[in-house]
Amino acid sequence: MSKLSKPTLLWLQSITCNGNTHSFFSHPDFVALMQKFEIIHHPILNTKYTLEDVVKGNLACDVLVLEGAFKKNGMKKMNKEIYTVAKNYAKKAKHIITAGSCATFGGMFRQYDTQSIGGFCFDDEVPNEIYKLFKKKLISIPGCPAHPRWIGSVLSMILTHRQIPLDELNRPLEIYGYNAHVGCSRSEYYEWKIDASKYGHKEGCLFYEHGCQAPFTHANCNKILWNEVSSKTRVGTPCFGCTEPTFPKKNLWHTTTLMGMPANMPIGIPKRAYLTIAGIAKSFTIKRLNEPIIKYKK
Amino acid sequence: MKIKHFVEKVEGETELEFDFKNGIVNNVNIVFPFYRGIEEILRDRDALDALVITPRVCGICNHAHLLASARAIENGLQNAGVNINLTPKAISLREFTLYCEIIQSHFKWFYLIAMPQLANLNKLEISDNHILKASWANINTVKALAIFAGQWPHSSYIVPGGVTCDPTYEEIIQAEALIDDIIKFTQNEFLGLSIDEYYKTKEISSIKGDMGIILSMLKNQNMQEKGKSYDRFLTLGEHSAFTTGIYNQSLYSDANITYVKEHVQSGSKAKSVSYDNQFCEVGPLARAMLRKNNFILDIHNKYQDSALTRVCARMDELINLLIYTKDLLANLNVKELSCTLSKLPKDLEANGTGIVEAARGSLIHQSTIKSGKIQNYSIITPTQWNLSNGLEQSYGIATKAMRGSINTQEANFIFRTFDVCSVCTTH
Amino acid sequence: MSQDGKRVQKKESIIKVALTLFSVYGFHKTTIPNIAKRLGMSSGNLYNYFPSKEILAQEIIKYTSEVLGAEIRKINQQKKLSTDKKIHKIVEVYFKMAVEKPEMIEYFLRVYLSHREVFVGECQRMVCVASFITEIMIFFSDGVESGDLRDQDFFSAFGLFMGYLGGMAFLNGEAMLPHSLKEYTDDISQNIYNALKT
Repeated sequence: MSKLSKPTLLWLQSITCNGNTHSFFSHPDFVALMQKFEIIHHPILNTKYTLEDVVKGNLACDVLVLEGAFKKNGMKKMNKEIYTVAKNYAKKAKHIITAGSCATFGGMFRQYDTQSIGGFCFDDEVPNEIYKLFKKKLISIPGCPAHPRWIGSVLSMILTHRQIPLDELNRPLEIYGYNAHVGCSRSEYYEWKIDASKYGHKEGCLFYEHGCQAPFTHANCNKILWNEVSSKTRVGTPCFGCTEPTFPKKNLWHTTTLMGMPANMPIGIPKRAYLTIAGIAKSFTIKRLNEPIIKYKK
Repeated sequence: MKIKHFVEKVEGETELEFDFKNGIVNNVNIVFPFYRGIEEILRDRDALDALVITPRVCGICNHAHLLASARAIENGLQNAGVNINLTPKAISLREFTLYCEIIQSHFKWFYLIAMPQLANLNKLEISDNHILKASWANINTVKALAIFAGQWPHSSYIVPGGVTCDPTYEEIIQAEALIDDIIKFTQNEFLGLSIDEYYKTKEISSIKGDMGIILSMLKNQNMQEKGKSYDRFLTLGEHSAFTTGIYNQSLYSDANITYVKEHVQSGSKAKSVSYDNQFCEVGPLARAMLRKNNFILDIHNKYQDSALTRVCARMDELINLLIYTKDLLANLNVKELSCTLSKLPKDLEANGTGIVEAARGSLIHQSTIKSGKIQNYSIITPTQWNLSNGLEQSYGIATKAMRGSINTQEANFIFRTFDVCSVCTTH
Repeated sequence: MSQDGKRVQKKESIIKVALTLFSVYGFHKTTIPNIAKRLGMSSGNLYNYFPSKEILAQEIIKYTSEVLGAEIRKINQQKKLSTDKKIHKIVEVYFKMAVEKPEMIEYFLRVYLSHREVFVGECQRMVCVASFITEIMIFFSDGVESGDLRDQDFFSAFGLFMGYLGGMAFLNGEAMLPHSLKEYTDDISQNIYNALKT
């Protein structure tokens, strides 16, 4: 690709912890990927233009990456409302990526003021007044933070003009068509309904008591793994549903139950089907699954 | 004459309002413009929710926040009469992952901030290689961390009583291999010296590699004479690699959390913090001074708390932690329990403080839990110690260090030697 | 009717007859020859349908659980019905069955609960009563979700509900109740609701 034909990329931050920036910086091909774009501005990379240039609103922008929640009034940088700056570039851009749950749905920082803070095109799962304007070029990459590969792959798909099938919240189905439970190393314990009673063990499922939201969370983290090596559930931490418009729910370490039964069903599974299988699975005591996987000598 | 300067890149944005007098910086007003309300978000939530919410304060030191929130709950439980006995395994894993986070943060500082900014100050052209190096060092360090913590950023694998993971030796070996690779990188690229040679050398002039370039650029800018503040240091977080205490112009004494006080600053969304009504520097230099690290004490002897000394302390800490993480992994006993506490009582009543050394210095979380719910949560971040504006007659730490600078560019670099974290400051 | 259809029908008639005999004479005193005789078939032929008395006993509990489960399922599917009304309907269904098909309840109490050694292996714990238990789970789960019932452990609620009904059916079977079982429906429904509501 010649230097002239590189598409321009502008990464713009609003109300954020910079988590998506740092997450994406952990992408194994971060530098190579970024070299395929002309970077107008980025929170980490040195760029030709300063943020002061950016807020004036006159720079080129083929791909706009947004990070952080938005507030129409009162979130200024260099005396300019960042929401207005984002909207201006969004009109110009061929593709808008909302990186992370804050930019997509409002996420963590929406919790501070749900009246005035939200995502760029959604407030939780509800499309806002500018959704219609941008829906054709919007790609949602929720996650707290978004997995580096989610951002990297979508940018590459844009570069290579590949089809990106999306769901009703504009999330790429190749990523969010899975649920976070797919690939979980504890799935046998899930199948046989064996709870991990205490933290700190390889054995046991976190869905029944510890609040794991993986079966009803759209994400492929357990399929592609975090930092190439692990995931929350693999290290015994429940999935907190961070890619969902409902993130962060309350009582994150406790399973919401209805008379002792999980209130949230795996995506698309009717309650009757789930409870039938669960009741039967629970009736059997599988010796192997009730013992430690590894026995070390004292 | 007043000049506004906008600081950006790596960890959020800050406005510096310089007041020049006779051609040199006389005062600086540091403005952190936006508050995100994390402490309010925590209110009325289940006590354990803090382990998920507080890492979201910061994309670069989220792990330190996680540990601080777990320690605050543990301290609260202890105050309520519950025994907390962490196993050596849980302690070592917590330490390991925290040090990995500090290491990645320091690498980012050297390659993404110091390299380009010093090149700029020295009017030198540099290639993009420094980004590639930052990226490589970062990927491998956080990968080692994620083997135990599940992911970086925003893991929640530390819980009251220990950690959620239960690693195998096979996983520990993976982490060891990664640390070995990073050590090789540090020798070949960062220092241009073997670790043994590094520990033998008494002279920073014998350091080569990228660090050698950074040091020579610092000397060119006379940074051994600039950036001095109060020569008063504080380390509050308890860790196997650090020593707590306060150093005040050659005097060492024990530190006591009750002397810590927050102050509202007009015009900025960040609060300043003082210890016994005095400002103290926190971070790698403070930790080296309190650890009585000979190499840094020598440099400090020559150049006091100058920008150069501060940078050397960050370099030295990176190397020491890297070597130390190997010991932590080598001594891990997988047979021990990972977590010794089961569920928290539903109606938990607890007041606790959790203190942690983050990359940039002492981080404090204080929580009040009533009937199992967070009634009040208060966070003091390292940047609040170093980058606050000051009170009445006394300048803040960074402001004092920037005074006397000849231009905004130089002052800005001195400001960055404290490693700015805007998002942490305005949690 | 196909061969398969005939076989299913025959199996069901064996179950019904065996159910009555088991509930009257108990598990040990009822033998395969007794059952075969009552059906007018040879023991050998009966074994073609059920290879052992134990397996027949297991099939019977599955059958009763499915019959009762199907009734409760109809109640669960009436989404607009309030939880107290659903409780009333479940009690009604249960008592009706205790009166009209006492052998089903008797079988549950006298055979299923008294001979746990028979209901092992592929019939352990909830496996053979899954159809019934699942519907009770759905009833409870919907009740909590609608805000009518208090969230608690499933078995603490289940024991209160089914233990109560089973106890009443037992008393009725022993002819110890001064009134007909039906007359207790309102009060018992009210009691259950009061005990479980938020």
